[in-house]
Amino acid sequence: MLKSLTARAIIPVTVSVTGFVVVCCILLYSIMKTDMANDVTTYETNQARTIVKSTRYAMLRDDRESLANIIDNIGTQENVEHVRIFNKKGLIMFSSNHSETGRLLDKNAAGCIECHSGPVPSATLGDMKQARRFINEKGKDVIAITAPIYNEPGCVQAACHIHTAEQKILGTLDIGLSAVPLVNNLAVMRSRMVIFSIMVLLVTVGGVAALLRRYVFIPLRLLADFTEKAIAGVEQKIPPCAAEIETLAGNIRSLVGELISLRQEKARWKKEE
Amino acid sequence: MEKGGMNRPAGEKETPEFRKNNARLRKETLVNIRKLQSKLTKELLSTALFLLLSIAALNNFSFCPSLPGAIRAALGRPPSVKMISAVLLLYVFSAIILILARMMSGSGRYGGVAHVGYLAGFYIFYHFSGKLPENFWAVFAAGATVFGLEIYHLWIYCSEAVENEREVLAFLDGKRGGRE
Repeated sequence: MLKSLTARAIIPVTVSVTGFVVVCCILLYSIMKTDMANDVTTYETNQARTIVKSTRYAMLRDDRESLANIIDNIGTQENVEHVRIFNKKGLIMFSSNHSETGRLLDKNAAGCIECHSGPVPSATLGDMKQARRFINEKGKDVIAITAPIYNEPGCVQAACHIHTAEQKILGTLDIGLSAVPLVNNLAVMRSRMVIFSIMVLLVTVGGVAALLRRYVFIPLRLLADFTEKAIAGVEQKIPPCAAEIETLAGNIRSLVGELISLRQEKARWKKEE
Repeated sequence: MEKGGMNRPAGEKETPEFRKNNARLRKETLVNIRKLQSKLTKELLSTALFLLLSIAALNNFSFCPSLPGAIRAALGRPPSVKMISAVLLLYVFSAIILILARMMSGSGRYGGVAHVGYLAGFYIFYHFSGKLPENFWAVFAAGATVFGLEIYHLWIYCSEAVENEREVLAFLDGKRGGRE
């Protein structure tokens, strides 16, 4: 069966198209997954910067109540898993989860180690390096960003609480968003790609099979029937075929015509005898 | 047939020269059959090698010791994942076109171990860029397509060629159905 003309025409086409489409889809999915994750990180970084900017005035005035209020309100937003501000020593000063306020963070924990891996902590990190992905204690997939709160001239000159000018970073804002929307979007994209691949495969293989059947296999079967019946002595006509097969059909017609006339002549001789 | 005057009339006595040529041709035919059979076996072995390599890649080459930092630094930065993916796509496309062209021309050539080498290269590049888990199935699908097509092509080619050689053998043995 695998050596038949149909199989020889269909199998290479099916394998080539399926293989190529599958490779393309997997690579495309991988690239789009990375791009979407990067988009989420960029969005989250911008959000962190916005929070830092909007809390700046409350920080300058050392208005801890307003600051705690802002953090609480942001924490109630949908898909925001956690928001917290911790100082240079890693002590959580404000958090949307009140129970962790005042807790000291481990410098080797994910999100901290990126800057604290060397003897001197790094003051700047690229957007993508600031991001980390983990499963939180509620079992939710979270993408978190740590944005440093830099020392500014306003902070040094403020009368309420003094930081030295040498201090580069005053603290860090840590915000974590749920990765569920990203995971759902990726799942939708994956299922669409699978449907697209199946459709491409069906159209290609179905199209090739239909055209081959119409223009090659049916005419060949008719020619085979015609020759078999001619050998058996039954007269019939071959319907017109296309292009190259018509040439073959013409040759078979003339051969069968000669065979019939020879048979008739032979029959006539037999009668005369 | 021209070789050794095989189309001798029946009943004519076989000369020593005829018998010598017959034996030589028979030996050559048997060698050809063995070569054709080993061709397909070699391709199957290459596929098995690729599968073994894929099992190792699926585990992210965890059984291999990690490359020392100095060697890694000497090798330089790995190419970007997008570039590796673009080259992989180009490789699959050209490999498919080449195999289809061989099928069309009826050539018995095949890639074999060379394809295992190329695919191993892709696994290694993805591994060093840290994106092997995301792209493993792309390389595996590429390998499955290339080897699937090659095996099908070689199987058809070799079985046809072996059939032809067996017809020659049958003719040499004086059996009916041999090639005239």
